Amino acid sequence: MTKPLKKVVTKQRKEGQMSKVGLVIAREYSTRVKKRSFFVLTLLIPILMALVGIAAIWFTIEKEKHYKVLISDPENITESKIFVSHDDSDPPATFYFTEQELGPDDYSREDLKDFDIFIGVGRNTFTNKTIKGIYREEPSKYARNYILDKLETRLEEYWAVDHGIPLQTYREIDQNFKFDLHDVEDVGLSEGELSKKDTREEKTKKQGVGFGFSILIFVFLMVYAGQVMRGVLEEKTSRVVEIVVSSVKPFELMMGKIIAIGLVGLTQFLMWVVLLTIIMAGVQALFISDLDPETLQALGDMQMNPGESGKISESESTAAILFFQEIKWGILIPLFFVYFIGGYLLYASIFAIVGAAADSETDTQQLIIPVMIPLMFVYIVSISILGSPDSSAAIIGSYVPFSSPIIMLQRVAAGTVAFWEVILSLLILIGTFVLTTYLAGKVYRTGILMYGKKASWKEIIKWLRH
Amino acid sequence: MLRVENIVKQYSGHTALDDISITTKRGEIFGLLGPNGAGKTSLIRIINQITGPDVGKIFIEGRELKRSDIEHIGYLPEERGLYKKMKVKDQVMYFARLKGLSKSEAKRKMNEWFEKFEITSWYDKKVEELSKGMAQKIQFIITVIHEPKILILDEPFSGFDPINTELIKQEILSLKKKGTSIMISTHNMNSVEEICDSIALINKAKLVLDGKLSDVKNKFRSNTYAIQFKGMMFAFANALFASFSLEHSEQIDEDRAIAHVKLLKGNTLNDLLKTVIPVVEIEAVHEIVPSMNDIFIEAVTGAKKSNEYLKNDETPEEGGNKAEEGGSDE
Repeated sequence: MTKPLKKVVTKQRKEGQMSKVGLVIAREYSTRVKKRSFFVLTLLIPILMALVGIAAIWFTIEKEKHYKVLISDPENITESKIFVSHDDSDPPATFYFTEQELGPDDYSREDLKDFDIFIGVGRNTFTNKTIKGIYREEPSKYARNYILDKLETRLEEYWAVDHGIPLQTYREIDQNFKFDLHDVEDVGLSEGELSKKDTREEKTKKQGVGFGFSILIFVFLMVYAGQVMRGVLEEKTSRVVEIVVSSVKPFELMMGKIIAIGLVGLTQFLMWVVLLTIIMAGVQALFISDLDPETLQALGDMQMNPGESGKISESESTAAILFFQEIKWGILIPLFFVYFIGGYLLYASIFAIVGAAADSETDTQQLIIPVMIPLMFVYIVSISILGSPDSSAAIIGSYVPFSSPIIMLQRVAAGTVAFWEVILSLLILIGTFVLTTYLAGKVYRTGILMYGKKASWKEIIKWLRH
Repeated sequence: MLRVENIVKQYSGHTALDDISITTKRGEIFGLLGPNGAGKTSLIRIINQITGPDVGKIFIEGRELKRSDIEHIGYLPEERGLYKKMKVKDQVMYFARLKGLSKSEAKRKMNEWFEKFEITSWYDKKVEELSKGMAQKIQFIITVIHEPKILILDEPFSGFDPINTELIKQEILSLKKKGTSIMISTHNMNSVEEICDSIALINKAKLVLDGKLSDVKNKFRSNTYAIQFKGMMFAFANALFASFSLEHSEQIDEDRAIAHVKLLKGNTLNDLLKTVIPVVEIEAVHEIVPSMNDIFIEAVTGAKKSNEYLKNDETPEEGGNKAEEGGSDE
């Protein structure tokens, strides 16, 4: 009869201890979530992001103004014809022709008031290799490139024929060469298999999505691990810690704090996702319903390749396809959470060491340097490997636990990583944070009750050995 | 109630506690005395299980102290502190629950104390909005809310204003009546004499003396009497032979003086009086009983008297005992 009784007692005790960590977590979590700054940030960030998004859309729509181009062609070089592809269902400009020669006084004429751009074409256009034009409102780069592209093709055709080259021959010459470049490892693959493989460009685009996650994780690590440090320091400087550790083990207090702040981070993130979704849905209902799908597609292209607009046919709507089909969200998002949690636990334990060793906010700035420099380095590496997700820097970075939360997601997004590599990288990360948490516990225990002086890293290492 | 046995605690570089053994009784106020850096806070932290001893054991009610016993201990650290941005009631509830009280129990006890101190209007205030004296009351409530069997108060009267000091003193005495074993660590010797039943004095990591306050004081009685008389000082001094020694004398006015005389070789006060009555006119006589303050200074500095009261013959070493590790700020 005594044996089971004893068991019950030990079980109760364990539950008692568990609930103490629970109490710590509840306190740390609720005080942070109830803070006004949490509320403001949670609300403000999605609104800001939505505003930026709306502004981007607004500016893009603004650029989509349609231009009426009047070509003044007294010598009838263009024969009032410009080849416009049927694919361009929504071209940025329409061409009109006149054989009148236009002078400075003509632009204000009543019958020409509707035209936005006037272009003069004549034989001197060829001799000077210059197309001259006048605009009322400066066209966007996209519209400008479109006009030049169409006009250039028409003029070159005329020139070719003028030089005795048959139009058909000229058009053949004018066609671009495809550059069919392949990896030596892919030699022998069939056409179908080859088309499944991502080109470097495609990989880079996908990696870009991973880079977004990298930045997100980096920012979250900095913000929330930093909160752990400040929380530890606050308890230490307010001296409340001594009463707390007379009721809770220092390790339980530290873990409670780390877990609670991590939960605050996840809460904030989820609130952002929910709020952003609501806001975007609202925005879509209000504004975007008026827009036709092509504009939206063009919008996607603009955001993806802001530099190389103009040749719209080339990029099609790759961004949209990439976003909705080729990125494996089902893998990326769970991995984002796993790496965020792993990276957070790792950095939070290190930041807790700093908080426990410091005696004031100013001390932390010095003590944090050895932590911040590698983190900044990782951040720079994560930018430098954009476009080369297979480089050795990327591979090493995706295993080193201090950088893997930031770098591995890029490689996963780019699709250049095997399943076992992710598992290995995660195991290293987990092993490391278990170790750093254990070490942090040791330093924390000593550090939080050291009032009135800042410990150096040398002393911290001494505590570790004690 | 609480028995500390042969506790040794070393930090790299120095010994904070060297073979300390003390015992406190139920319903007794025990004074833990010692100069700054003696190791008092180290000992208190070990009893609170904040740190562990290198050697030695602690027993509570006859059995060895275990982790869950923290619920039976109330601790008021010398370094006071509360969560500044937390509401008073949340704070009290948090600490009460950390000490193992259920939510409803914690609430009930909190209300009791707040009504007793007439501070129910503070529930929703943040600690940073409270005055120092107000925060001290909250701090005290947090220390005792779980009705600990053992109450450890590190410098309980420092930093409290006189009104709060009196209030706390009364509360301590009423807890004592209820059977709480109270340990007070302090330098304030007046309060020791006023409320302590037993004391232990630690100096440089070692236990220098301990026992009932009255016993300790008796031990320090040096058979010295103050005699106030009318007459000539030199006549008085001449009358004392080898059986008495004149320790100290002072003139009150032209023909009156007070002399401190120590009895030697088993002589009694009567013998002394017989010797001096023929030469002077005695006005008053009383025994000189050492104050705790004197005892403290003597025990710590080892001055004035031979170390008869020392348990061991070693004279405490000089220096090398700063409280740098372990953060003791005593």
